[in-house]
Amino acid sequence: MSSEFLLIRAKDELVCGLGECGGSVTSILQYLLDNDIVDNVLTIKKEGSVYDAVPVLISNSEELNSTAGSLHCAPTMVADLIPKFINDTKLAVVCKPCDAMGINELEKRNQIDKNNLYKIGLNCGGTLMPKQAKEMFELFYEVNPDDVIKEEIDKGQIIIELKDGTEKGVKIDDLEEKGWGRRENCQRCEIMIPRNTDIVCGNWGAEKGWTFVEMVTGKGKDLVNNGIKEGYIESKTVSQKQIEIREKLEGIMINLMKKFGEKHLIIEYPSLEKWDEYWNRCIECYGCRDICPICWCNECEIEKNYMKNSIELPPDPLTFQGIRLGHMSFSCINCGQCEDVCPMEIPISRIYKKMQRKYNEKTEYIAGFSDELPPLFSSTNE
Amino acid sequence: MSDDIKLVGFCCNWCCYGGADTAGTARMQYPPNVRVIRVMCSGRINISMILKAYKEGADGVFVGGCHMGDCHYVGGNYKWKRRASMFEDLIEQFGIEKDRFRFEWISASEGEKFQQTMRSFYEDLNKLGSLNRKITIKKK
Repeated sequence: MSSEFLLIRAKDELVCGLGECGGSVTSILQYLLDNDIVDNVLTIKKEGSVYDAVPVLISNSEELNSTAGSLHCAPTMVADLIPKFINDTKLAVVCKPCDAMGINELEKRNQIDKNNLYKIGLNCGGTLMPKQAKEMFELFYEVNPDDVIKEEIDKGQIIIELKDGTEKGVKIDDLEEKGWGRRENCQRCEIMIPRNTDIVCGNWGAEKGWTFVEMVTGKGKDLVNNGIKEGYIESKTVSQKQIEIREKLEGIMINLMKKFGEKHLIIEYPSLEKWDEYWNRCIECYGCRDICPICWCNECEIEKNYMKNSIELPPDPLTFQGIRLGHMSFSCINCGQCEDVCPMEIPISRIYKKMQRKYNEKTEYIAGFSDELPPLFSSTNE
Repeated sequence: MSDDIKLVGFCCNWCCYGGADTAGTARMQYPPNVRVIRVMCSGRINISMILKAYKEGADGVFVGGCHMGDCHYVGGNYKWKRRASMFEDLIEQFGIEKDRFRFEWISASEGEKFQQTMRSFYEDLNKLGSLNRKITIKKK
């Protein structure tokens, strides 16, 4: 199905001011909740500061306003919450590309019911780790990190807004050259526009105060058109030039990310000796497995007695990470959660992404996008 | 010929195990180092089973299944093929050579193929020597 494009923004002036680019996403969610098309909305909300985001489940459209705005300094993922807690309701979920890919992989594993779900995708240029972001704002922006009330990634810059209203921006390239900036996974992530959702919203190619929306599925088209009809959003047509700008931006980003991918996974990939050192740090906390959005088994093989031969640390990487790699690395969506939660700072997501890349080269299976099923379920016709 | 090379062979009940049987009844000689484990289908083999074999001291692991299209359960070997191609990359990440793992399609009548495969695999493993995993765990 071919995509259609529109420029939209919220009709409600309050919502329009609250959101990042005209409050479109918030007003679409309001439309869905008010008309009982969905029971709940799953999104993330600012909790205290810009460095903390918590997933919230909202059933009352008035509460939605508190979730408006972007949060780049809190890489919270929502994909794995759906099968665990809320698979039985009709749901709208706001997802960045890795959430959308996680949901897609879980759908293939029959963990999420596609028909119950409205997926509203957001363009994403990358996220930052909260702790790193704080230090970075102190070092490069020379501000008190607690004064930051808003942040945004636009035109290759990380822009922050302070309490007193001043804005400051530093180029991402300059930051990343010095080892700061976005999370490593986001640097090499090649998917900025999650086209595996129903609609994708973003500011690329849009004028200020408007959101560029790509309606991918028929469901998404109906959603936006009905939203306009019911008076929640207003729309403008998109010029050919704006579409081209968006495509060009995406192309530039993908090329950049590919370079990072080469750097992380081939040129600077840790040697076996280095991995030896990393695996020896492991304290067997199972954090990487618990956070992984793809891992959903109720009974995990790596906890089985026959896979352990001692209670001593560290665990044998072959039957710890090896089994996990064998079970899900082909579906690794490069969200980087495993690395984020690892208390021993093992660069674990690199090995998963590397395996996924190799699998992709052999079979052209793109985790989170391809319709075909992952290996354990793959079809007989090959 | 050294005897301390340990080779674990997972053989599918319908084809490769039959092939081994054929080799046996025809008195074809092959290295005694292989310990055959019968599984119902190559598609049943979980990657963790092979990893466990390496962990317990196998120097090489062989997996035998039916030829493409011959699977008793219609598509088990296709599924295994996918997993196997991934597995070769996986063990390299842990410092185990690709050559220590081999999979082959052997039908129940191909006793000779079973013999040849075992011989050549054993020779390859002999050249590599016993498995010395580069990633070692230091016990405190």
